[in-house]
Amino acid sequence: MTHCRVPLLALLLAVLPTVLRAQTTIEGRVSLPKTTTAPVVNQRYEIVSKGGIVATNPPLAVVYLEGDFPKSPTPPVAQLIQKELAFVPALLPLRVGTKVEFPNLDDQYHNIFSYSPPKRFDLGRYRPDERPIPSQVFDVPGLVTLRCDIHEHMRGIVLVLATPHFVMTDVAGNFRLTGLPPGRYTLKAWLDSKTTREQAVELTAAGNMRVDFPASP
Amino acid sequence: MIPHRPIRLAFTLTALAIVGGTVVAASEEYFDRLGQALSASSLHGHVRARLSGTVDLEAYHLPTPAPAFIDTTREDLFNPRLTLFLDTQLGERVYLFSQARADQGFDPGQSAARFRFDEYALRITPWADRRGSFQLGKFATIVGNWVPRHGSWENPFISAPVPYEHATGVWDTETPRSLNQFLLWNHVRPGLSVFNTANEKKFRLPLVWGPAYATGAAVSGALGQFRYSAELKNAGIASRPASWTKAGKWWTYPAVAARLAYSPNPMWTFGVSAANATYLRPSAQPTLTAGRGRGDYRQRTFAADAGFAWHHWQLWAEVFQSRFEMPLLGDADTVSGYVEAKYKFTPQFFGAVRFNRQTFGTLLDGPRPPIHWGRNLWRIDVAPGYRLTPHVQLKLEYSLHHEASAAALAAERTQTLAAQLTARF
Repeated sequence: MTHCRVPLLALLLAVLPTVLRAQTTIEGRVSLPKTTTAPVVNQRYEIVSKGGIVATNPPLAVVYLEGDFPKSPTPPVAQLIQKELAFVPALLPLRVGTKVEFPNLDDQYHNIFSYSPPKRFDLGRYRPDERPIPSQVFDVPGLVTLRCDIHEHMRGIVLVLATPHFVMTDVAGNFRLTGLPPGRYTLKAWLDSKTTREQAVELTAAGNMRVDFPASP
Repeated sequence: MIPHRPIRLAFTLTALAIVGGTVVAASEEYFDRLGQALSASSLHGHVRARLSGTVDLEAYHLPTPAPAFIDTTREDLFNPRLTLFLDTQLGERVYLFSQARADQGFDPGQSAARFRFDEYALRITPWADRRGSFQLGKFATIVGNWVPRHGSWENPFISAPVPYEHATGVWDTETPRSLNQFLLWNHVRPGLSVFNTANEKKFRLPLVWGPAYATGAAVSGALGQFRYSAELKNAGIASRPASWTKAGKWWTYPAVAARLAYSPNPMWTFGVSAANATYLRPSAQPTLTAGRGRGDYRQRTFAADAGFAWHHWQLWAEVFQSRFEMPLLGDADTVSGYVEAKYKFTPQFFGAVRFNRQTFGTLLDGPRPPIHWGRNLWRIDVAPGYRLTPHVQLKLEYSLHHEASAAALAAERTQTLAAQLTARF
């Protein structure tokens, strides 16, 4: 019996700080704007037209907790794909310091670039099978708009955040942010480059909150 | 009035920079929102339309006479241009596009501003696997590989390559009555009349007239790594803008052209093209000998092209061999081509250089040795460019043009400076 209690106690002592530190969850809903018009692909001088219907990306929001958080010891890696003449996902939130790879899954060239102040780069044209996959490290927080120099309709957004606590809403605007540390923070909902809503929140050690971001009057 | 040419040029460039700075101040987001506002869709997105365009402000410092088809006697020229594109997608199979311009002529000139539709076409793609599509309307030629980058935003230069803009002495309104007259028209021999010197530019034909937006139909498609296209139009690739919308007897001798391209991967593309058309307008019929028609005198062109792109490099090359069948004189052959390279030094700063060359064949000159019917030439174009924002770019171009000596005419070297500010929305 004693032999069993010792490992059990050790296990409890090991997980207790984590349990006490990060068990809060925030749920809620963000009122999203209406679906925007899908782009028309410029095919005027394409000898060979391919379809022409580009998937409509429904508006989504990114909800994140703003505060002072320790830096990640290992830089995370994410992927943003070019597929069927579109960025997938069209909106990518990530933590500052994240390395993003840009695989090209189309059978033609893309040329991704950004002139956004937080990250200015031009990947040039690279083959789909080229290795290593072209990548960039996003080391300054802010909004980065991605474009393609070949396909003018292509748009992608990378939202570089100085927090590890963020989540994207679903198409209805619902979100669930888990594993949050107790404390006083600002909860923000990013909708587009001009619209970020925010609410002050106080998180306790073990409790769930509901926070909604209604549409502005 | 600004007295000196260098000061005028500096003034113009400063004005361009001020306008550019103002446009840049309107953030890239403004242009994105404008683009969104100019898009529309209905029926669950199956019908979509987008209005887009470019605004160009061009300034030239020109030699005399002005190069290519630039129609002015001035040494400095300012040329604003508005280009509008309407792209409409109906489901997955039907695509309509049009291009309209408001400017002082297809090539810069002194004429008053005008508005015209340069392109309007309907494309139907019946098969999802891209094996074929059909296009009907007024649209750019399928010959060669320059057309996809002939717009001011895509073209790393301000000018077109020599095969697309160097005016030969072949006229489309009449045929020469003698070799001497033909050599006068070609500036191989001096003595062209004052009247012709002042007016000839509108008659002279290049090897390919820019994008050659003639009217007709085309079929194109992809079979594995091969791309094919063929067109049937009312006017040939050398025809000038005034010919591109003509109907009626223009269709008596339709122009045909075809291109086959092989692209083993996105990095390389190789193509061959051929075109055959009468180059004479119906008004030239009275200048032909009895029993002969326009269809007896044709321009036959063969072309090869190559394209390469990798990382920040883009290279293109084209070579054309063209034959103008001349009444009384025989075949006037010319070969023209260029090699062009573009490199992005930084995300926003790029540069391009192009070497152009055109040579002319010989015609029999009685008892004397055969004589070249045109003056061989080369031209080097150097063009740095800077993208101020994803929607605004500034390009400069310097061209050094050399024409070989001919008969009593000495070799000539001329220089052209140009600046172009483009805002795309």
